[in-house]
Amino acid sequence: MNKTITMNLGGIIFHIEEDAYDKLNKYLSTIKGYFKDSEGRDEIMTDIESRIAEMLQEKVSSAKQAVLLSDVESVIAIMGKPEDFAGEGDGSESKINTESSSEENKFSYPNNKRRRVFRDEDNKILGGVCAGISNYFDFDPLWIRAAFAISFFAFGSGFLLYLILWIIIPKAKTTAEKLEMHGEKVDVNNIGKAVNEEFEDFKKRMNDFGDKAKSPETKEKIRTTAQKATEFLGDVFHNMIKVVGKIVAFLLVFIGIALMVGLLATIFGRGTISVFNSPTSNIHFSIYEFSSAVFPADLPVVLVIIALILFFGVPLLSLIYAGIRHLFGIKQKNKIVKYTANSLWLIGLGLVIYIGFQIGNDFSEEATVKQKIEITQPTSQVLYLDLKPMPDDDIDLTYHRKRHNINIGDWTMISKDNNKFSIGYPMMDIVRSETDSFQIVIVKTANGYDKKEAVYHAKNIEYSIAQKDSTIFFNSFFDIMNADKLRAQDVKIIVKVPLNKVIYLSKRMEKVIYNIHNLEDAIDYDMVNRRWIMAEEELRCIDCNGLVTIRKHKIDTTIPTPPIAPVPAEVKK
Amino acid sequence: MNIENTKAQMKKGVLEFCILSVLSSGDQYPSEIIEKMKEAKLIVVEGTLYPLLMRLKNDGLLSYRWEESLSGPPRKYYKLTPVGKQYLKELKTTWTELVNAVNKTIEKK
Repeated sequence: MNKTITMNLGGIIFHIEEDAYDKLNKYLSTIKGYFKDSEGRDEIMTDIESRIAEMLQEKVSSAKQAVLLSDVESVIAIMGKPEDFAGEGDGSESKINTESSSEENKFSYPNNKRRRVFRDEDNKILGGVCAGISNYFDFDPLWIRAAFAISFFAFGSGFLLYLILWIIIPKAKTTAEKLEMHGEKVDVNNIGKAVNEEFEDFKKRMNDFGDKAKSPETKEKIRTTAQKATEFLGDVFHNMIKVVGKIVAFLLVFIGIALMVGLLATIFGRGTISVFNSPTSNIHFSIYEFSSAVFPADLPVVLVIIALILFFGVPLLSLIYAGIRHLFGIKQKNKIVKYTANSLWLIGLGLVIYIGFQIGNDFSEEATVKQKIEITQPTSQVLYLDLKPMPDDDIDLTYHRKRHNINIGDWTMISKDNNKFSIGYPMMDIVRSETDSFQIVIVKTANGYDKKEAVYHAKNIEYSIAQKDSTIFFNSFFDIMNADKLRAQDVKIIVKVPLNKVIYLSKRMEKVIYNIHNLEDAIDYDMVNRRWIMAEEELRCIDCNGLVTIRKHKIDTTIPTPPIAPVPAEVKK
Repeated sequence: MNIENTKAQMKKGVLEFCILSVLSSGDQYPSEIIEKMKEAKLIVVEGTLYPLLMRLKNDGLLSYRWEESLSGPPRKYYKLTPVGKQYLKELKTTWTELVNAVNKTIEKK
């Protein structure tokens, strides 16, 4: 007993046994494959089909209703092997070559429709994206939907990705596309299998080639085989490039999504910019706080955020877009998407330039405000210089402070009692006084849109000094008043010491002094905890015995010494 | 050179000529054409005919009409077009000349 299938061939209904049907189906597919380049393929196929139908009809009767395998075989024998008649006209393909061994390969090939990704609108919940993807990968759509639902909460990246996919993945409209949607499975195994088959085939062809080279064959034949070998090598490379391309595409999508999440997190998250030179601890603040501290007041922070999203986001989205397109082999081009992306990015670029220009404009003028601080002259010859004790004195921050290079000033932001405010670090220089008394001058600089603005910003810097007996206590930082923007505010302290008067630098002063000229060429680190006397032009150490870094020629006073401050000092050591 | 290949080439050259000749005696559908060709041992397998018919039709030498059949699917009856008739005439002349020429060559040895 055998199962039969009902088949419509050339408009006639047949009951055909399953194995017979398979054989016939394969045969017709193979013929179709042979004629794939011919113009009138469909017409030829119709003709052949009706001829076969005619022949099969002669084989069935009311007594024998089903078509058997033997019937199909005899029909095929009459019609002939496709390779016997398909190459009609071009005799290059010889009959001997295409024998049974290659026949099997060719029989199976036209059936495998490459699987493609489509949006499955028949099973959709929103746009059919998840259903389509699950068709492609043979997952349960529930998992993919769950994954998307969860990623909706990761700064909305899932939502974004969904929208992108919705735009790029075409809808399965025709029946053919719906079939392709469920076509031959695409996975690593499959690709590997395809490459392997190609390779086996190639080996066979190479063997054929070797045999032929031995036998007395014409040059023409060798040439065609050589051509085939080249073509085949091309195929292999093509396949390899395709595999590599898929991997690259996957990486592109992955990296793109990661960067996108990062970008959104940076823009909308809190505490994403870290500053490591704060006096209290490493502090973090958001783009929003940073923008409101730096950008001009008339420049809405929202604009900055839009600019950032467009300028960095659009290229990232394009990256993901291109990756997905390549990964799923989507050919359709969407011009609207392309032009929209291009114009959005240009808008982003324009905004970035505009913002940059605005900020640059706000730094265009510099102003300096000098402030003489009255101090009581010390009763002894020695003036002690010290810092106000700070809770974080044990944290060694000098390194960071002196080396870091933030162009908008020597500043940081700290958070205290939930209020954020900006502070900066002053620098100290010690020079000879023109008079015979100690003097302290505070030089405040700041930038602004115009001179007036700059002066305003400079005056807004708060810096205080206290005196107790012969000791001056300096603040280790200056305040930029709360509401004020960061405009390269800077403070320089100039301590003027009269000739032959002595100063003592406490250990803590190391944080503030910066490249002070001295006859011993001692570095900042070696200058503290010591007494210094003002010589003709610069300081000379009183108790530096045993210090190794001091200048070798200190006795020789005739050697010209470098000019003193305020010219910036040359680097020591 | 491959003897099978040469034989096939020789047959191919005359196949078109033969199909046109068969059709010159009246409209026929593929199975009939095949019968005659088989009798003449010009065609071994039937499949060969279909692409040939297609090509001749596309070149404007043949046309066809559908006709219902009592026993099976509707049949395509092929027919020579005026161009096809002209074509056949010329081929016939060429063929006669060719046969004569070939025969002479063979007889001379």
